[in-house]
Amino acid sequence: MNTMKWLIRRELWEHKGAFVYAPLAVAAALVLLLGGGFLYALATTGAFHFQANGQQVITIEGVPPEMYARAAAIAASSYLAITAPLFLVLPVVVFFYCLAALHDERRDRSILFWKSLPMSDQETVLSKAAVALVVAPLLTVAIGIATSLVLLVLGLLASAVKGVNLIAPVLANANFYLSPLYLLSFLPLYIVWALPTVGWLLLVSSWARSKVFLWAVGVPVIALALLAWFDFLVGRFSGLSLNVKWFGEEVVARMLGGLMPGIWFGEVNGRALAEQNAGLDGPMLIGLSYGTLASPAVWIAAAAGCAMIYGAIRLRRWRDEG
Amino acid sequence: MNTVQDAVPNTTLKPASSAVLSARGLTKRYGKQVAVDGIDFEIPAGRIVGLIGPNGSGKTTTLKAALGLIPFEGELSVLGLDPRTQRDALMKDVCFIADVTILPRWLRVKDAVDFVEGVHPRFDRSKAERYIANTRLKPGMKVKEMSKGMVVQLHLALVMAIDARLLVLDEPTLGLDILYRKQFYQHLLEDYFDEQKTIVITTHQVEEIEHILTDLLFIRDGKIALAASMEEIGQRYVEVMVPNEKAAAARALQPLDQRAMFGKSVMLFDTQRAGGLSRSQLEALGEVRHPSVADLFVATMKGSYA
Repeated sequence: MNTMKWLIRRELWEHKGAFVYAPLAVAAALVLLLGGGFLYALATTGAFHFQANGQQVITIEGVPPEMYARAAAIAASSYLAITAPLFLVLPVVVFFYCLAALHDERRDRSILFWKSLPMSDQETVLSKAAVALVVAPLLTVAIGIATSLVLLVLGLLASAVKGVNLIAPVLANANFYLSPLYLLSFLPLYIVWALPTVGWLLLVSSWARSKVFLWAVGVPVIALALLAWFDFLVGRFSGLSLNVKWFGEEVVARMLGGLMPGIWFGEVNGRALAEQNAGLDGPMLIGLSYGTLASPAVWIAAAAGCAMIYGAIRLRRWRDEG
Repeated sequence: MNTVQDAVPNTTLKPASSAVLSARGLTKRYGKQVAVDGIDFEIPAGRIVGLIGPNGSGKTTTLKAALGLIPFEGELSVLGLDPRTQRDALMKDVCFIADVTILPRWLRVKDAVDFVEGVHPRFDRSKAERYIANTRLKPGMKVKEMSKGMVVQLHLALVMAIDARLLVLDEPTLGLDILYRKQFYQHLLEDYFDEQKTIVITTHQVEEIEHILTDLLFIRDGKIALAASMEEIGQRYVEVMVPNEKAAAARALQPLDQRAMFGKSVMLFDTQRAGGLSRSQLEALGEVRHPSVADLFVATMKGSYA
């Protein structure tokens, strides 16, 4: 267990830029642009213009109480949504991290240094999988929550100065406190969905001698293209049809897209999502998301991911570098 | 079988488990190329063994097999364990520097020390810090900011602070200047080595390690060309400074090698060659002395690149 702790620290030393500085830079940009926007609005507009149902409401007293409550509810339940850009950075960073994880150490031959210490291939590969599946998402979530709070405070202050004081109703709203927990509760689901991608990337990373990216992306994409072409020919001559769409959605998409947070919404009934008009309904989103686990395909893919991680462990054991 | 063990009557206490490393029919093929060709050898505890051979002779392959880095055929036991199946257990007691190892570029000196301390139960932090203090390395320095020699110094400081039962050093001093190389071998002998430990070294700078070795293993074309203790070698091989008038007589005794020096011929004889050769016979030819390992190596490996 102690070894695991050090192995994970090792990964963070090496990839601090990707896991900490990259999200921090995005967070800083968000704070500067959005937070700056609030302050700019504060400095340049004299009176408060509250646009409600198409009517210009100028006086504070004129804001209907129900609008107040609704604005506060939206702010309290959805303030985390503002950090969505961070969750677009995460899959990119983790994708390239996994590709490099078992390849770079072979390329620069530092693998021989790591292998001279009492750490098994299993521990080493699992530490990298854990960083990709747990540590990196947690870091992004933490930075995301902190950024959202900063922006929420700026937004609340700006509107309070303008006379729309939502601070008390937001603080009184339970969703304000529960939102971070809702966000965190997606992590186990994210891990299940990300496993096939992490497994595939680690496998390629430990197998390919060079051009990891081409192998990782090229193999599934070319397989898909070949299958589509074959299907086209077979379909012309015999009327049989291979299920290319199935291969694309169930194999290629899971192999390459699993790191994308929210990829599971592809399997969720869209109408339920469209009905979110009083801010995000956390419990409902969680319920819908976890509902996707009822499909055996998710579990088969996750098991395949574990098998590929095991394959990466075996490959690392006997890879002979020079 | 070539046995290094028992070559010399052991003067110090003999450890209970005799062989730290023992190979029987160790073979490694890369495709059709045979890198190691069914070799047998045994290395007991408390020895410093020089594994010496020309480039491509199979030294590194042998060591990689012993360290569980590559699959192989034959039998190989390291500290009583099979490196193919018990590598994880083995690495608790074995440490190594492989000839092509590079420390990762992003690693900082202080992080490296913390990390090895964290994962290695036999790491002595104060020892590593002492070695590092002896160099120009700074705690915050990253490997990518270091010169080649400094990277090696860091690596050696880490490895020397690990109390391993078997230490394998494959070209450990590559890129180091002569001052540090001498200092390193001094430390290795004085600070690190004891009867419980075994060190296997390969290097091309044989003359520098000659004085610390207890045993020699010459390897050529994947086969053991010579396996003996230094004492045995001292008794077996004799170098004679033969004046020119006796050169013809000396040549009749079939020297392994000869070269000219200050108007004399320096000839190397194997006293155990077929037909026998006595020391007194050689003493009659001229001044007798111990050959250097480098000269012995050159004589043994003659024609390696032919």
